[in-house]
Amino acid sequence: MTTDPKSDGGVAQSPNQPFGLPRWVIGIVPILLLGLVIGGFVATTPLAGVDGGEPLPDVSIDYTTLPNDDTIRLHVTNNAPEPVTISQVHVDEANWQFEMTGAGGDRTLEPLESATIEIPYSWMEGYDYGVTVVADNGATFGTTIVAANSSPGLTGQVVWTLAVIGVLIGIVPIALGIMWFPFMQTMSEKWLNAVLAFSAGVLGYLVFDGGFEAFETAQSVPSGYSGPLLVVLGISGAWLLLQAVTDWLTDDEEESRLSLAYSAALGIGLHNLAEGLAIGAAFATGRTSLGMFLIIGFMIHNVTEGPVIVAPLADGNRPSLAHFVAFGLLAGSPAILGGWIGVSTRSPLLNTLFLAIGVGALLQVVFDIGDIVRRSGSIRAAPNVMGFAIGLLFMYATGLFTL
Amino acid sequence: MSSDRQESDSAIHEDDAGTVTRGLEERLVDSVKNHDGVSRRAVLGGLAIAGGSAIAGTGATRSDDDTGDSNDETMGFGAPGTYTEEQFDPHGFLREFNTGDSTNERPSRFGENDYNLNAGVYEENGQTVREFNFVAVPVEQEILPGITFPMWTFNGQVPGPTIRVEEGDLVRVNFTNGFPDMAHTIHPHLRNLNPRMDGIPQNGPGLIDSGESFTYEWQAQPVGTHLYHCHMLPLKAHVHRGMYGSMIVDPKPENVRENPRQYIDYHGPITDEVREMAAERARSRNMISHADYSPEGFDGIDEMVMVMNGFDTNFDGDNEVYGVNTRGFCYAPARTDAYNGEWEAGETKHPIEIDGNERQRVHLLNTIEFDFVNSFHCHSQFFDYYDAGTTLFPNRKTIDTVLMCQAQRGILEFDYSNHEPGLYMFHAHQSEFAELGWMSFFEVN
Repeated sequence: MTTDPKSDGGVAQSPNQPFGLPRWVIGIVPILLLGLVIGGFVATTPLAGVDGGEPLPDVSIDYTTLPNDDTIRLHVTNNAPEPVTISQVHVDEANWQFEMTGAGGDRTLEPLESATIEIPYSWMEGYDYGVTVVADNGATFGTTIVAANSSPGLTGQVVWTLAVIGVLIGIVPIALGIMWFPFMQTMSEKWLNAVLAFSAGVLGYLVFDGGFEAFETAQSVPSGYSGPLLVVLGISGAWLLLQAVTDWLTDDEEESRLSLAYSAALGIGLHNLAEGLAIGAAFATGRTSLGMFLIIGFMIHNVTEGPVIVAPLADGNRPSLAHFVAFGLLAGSPAILGGWIGVSTRSPLLNTLFLAIGVGALLQVVFDIGDIVRRSGSIRAAPNVMGFAIGLLFMYATGLFTL
Repeated sequence: MSSDRQESDSAIHEDDAGTVTRGLEERLVDSVKNHDGVSRRAVLGGLAIAGGSAIAGTGATRSDDDTGDSNDETMGFGAPGTYTEEQFDPHGFLREFNTGDSTNERPSRFGENDYNLNAGVYEENGQTVREFNFVAVPVEQEILPGITFPMWTFNGQVPGPTIRVEEGDLVRVNFTNGFPDMAHTIHPHLRNLNPRMDGIPQNGPGLIDSGESFTYEWQAQPVGTHLYHCHMLPLKAHVHRGMYGSMIVDPKPENVRENPRQYIDYHGPITDEVREMAAERARSRNMISHADYSPEGFDGIDEMVMVMNGFDTNFDGDNEVYGVNTRGFCYAPARTDAYNGEWEAGETKHPIEIDGNERQRVHLLNTIEFDFVNSFHCHSQFFDYYDAGTTLFPNRKTIDTVLMCQAQRGILEFDYSNHEPGLYMFHAHQSEFAELGWMSFFEVN
């Protein structure tokens, strides 16, 4: 490659001195000009003739909680570019007293500001309640509390229950799954590749499962935060970041497989965090009847996640047992943490972000497994394709138990 | 709680005496533990006596327990806050009657828009003319604390000014449309003999466009409490946005004495007694537009105008705010402590004060949009009802609730002379309307 200046038939320019000016000056010129144009635009207001009217107020009731039987709590966000004042509150088409906290002591929400509205209302269990906030210009924003049920908050009892559920659906099945490792070590390379492809199928299923879930919860993210785009950012951001970190950390084959196992554990952990969030959110809304059936369903569904983590390691030397313990904890315990977070903050924003990050992490692992399989065979070999398909199908089938 | 107590009082056995005493002790200590004036020792001392009587089954334990339910929580119902915008005073509007008398100064609330509503009372061709100036202007008016509504108004207020005339008068209304970009009319609910004066698009001047003026002339008949409103299309919008008001036509006692059948819904013989009774009722109805009929003042009658209306603040075809005279809860206490029955009047939200010795006459109009009917119900009270106010004897006697279709109106008469002083509620008996603002109180003194 030559660095000699080339002539396009016009005046020859030094690449270091365009127009005879220092490079940084030329670099900054477009920015200065942009500032000038924006300044001129603001100063001359060329759009003054276009009277588009004021932007419409847009307040969302992100979620509601019922901390006790005398209180309804609304969590609201202003999604509009202008401040909005909440002047009145209706419960079932009746004006009601309320206290608003979190908006700086008044009832005015700045753009993207959130607040809590507490209504002293004696609700009855199992009834539906229509709640509406009324802005100072009379615009209304409402939601329905379906089959009212007390939201317990983070009490000791709830912490304990969620921990038990988390252990049962997170740590136990993954630990059991990891115990397939010695068996996998006895497998031929061909069949191990098929198992890896099966893992990729399992993870691919989780990518779609979590992805759809993320886009679904994104619907309840305050519209000012553009929920669906947040999902896209979360997925691609987590994926690229994990890819960069694993590439940077590992250069030899052995270590690269270990880090892949950790990536898989992390991805599955984030997925289980999201599962925990969902369970915690169910607790927070008072939907606490997670039956035995559901828990058993989750256990069967998640037992595949163990071999998925350790499959990349089956081909080489067995790493120390401490690593296996770490896999189990990394992949399984977030279910407990998710439950706690889910029950204490029912933020759709956090929920969506966790889900998206989990999907990104899983996606990275799927592609890494693809690399491993490709190194020792063909992705399109029949056992591998079948393995992948069976992974997808198996997850779909066991997923039916967790509806 | 009281049922518990009755049970324990009636079903006492010797063995249970200790349990009963302990239960009573707990309850009483519970109930007074936050009460500064009572020491724990005093309570326990008192319990020995209370427990003793419980064993004896006398039921005397009822005495000290009443503090049990006391707490300072405010029941959550109602619109928090008080009104801030002062451009319309529903308390002032309640008792404001405009007879055209220009010497009767009206407080200017709307600046340039409020020019000389009462333009004069004079004779013309042997007929009394009462002249008014109306101007249509858009204003923002507060309808619940903190919530304003973009109104289309007559003279900058909703409801529009109440005009009060005598039967047989000529009502002359100089109407100017002060809107920048919208046409309006005034349509009177009167027996109007000239179609040009009906105030509809298809007749006479039709729509009065922005900046234009027109003088409507109406015959004041029949006697009663009537309505005027804008008849521009879309009709729903122009009525809902506030272009309405009341017009009261008072009866002349001499006309009533001459031809009583025209004024009373009564089919028996017209005796002198009936004739005089009807004339006296006419005099009592006509003390404001014709002060001569009440030489000694208003003779113990307190008259009020209540226009039942509602506002669809989010324009979805359903009202979010209901009230009389435009504001939700405007004649209600500013703060109530539902558990202790205590209340506070506020500066802008307070009950209607009335003199228990005066007879109350409410001119009630229904201008609700988007709901078929509205109603008026008063607590601990029954009233006589005169449909449209066109008769001098009540159409319905001794009722406590009246139902009204859109544009229906009537006169309610009642008194609180036998009632103890205090708060008496009145409200729409559509519970939804009541809970969304159409709920108010009389404070009887």
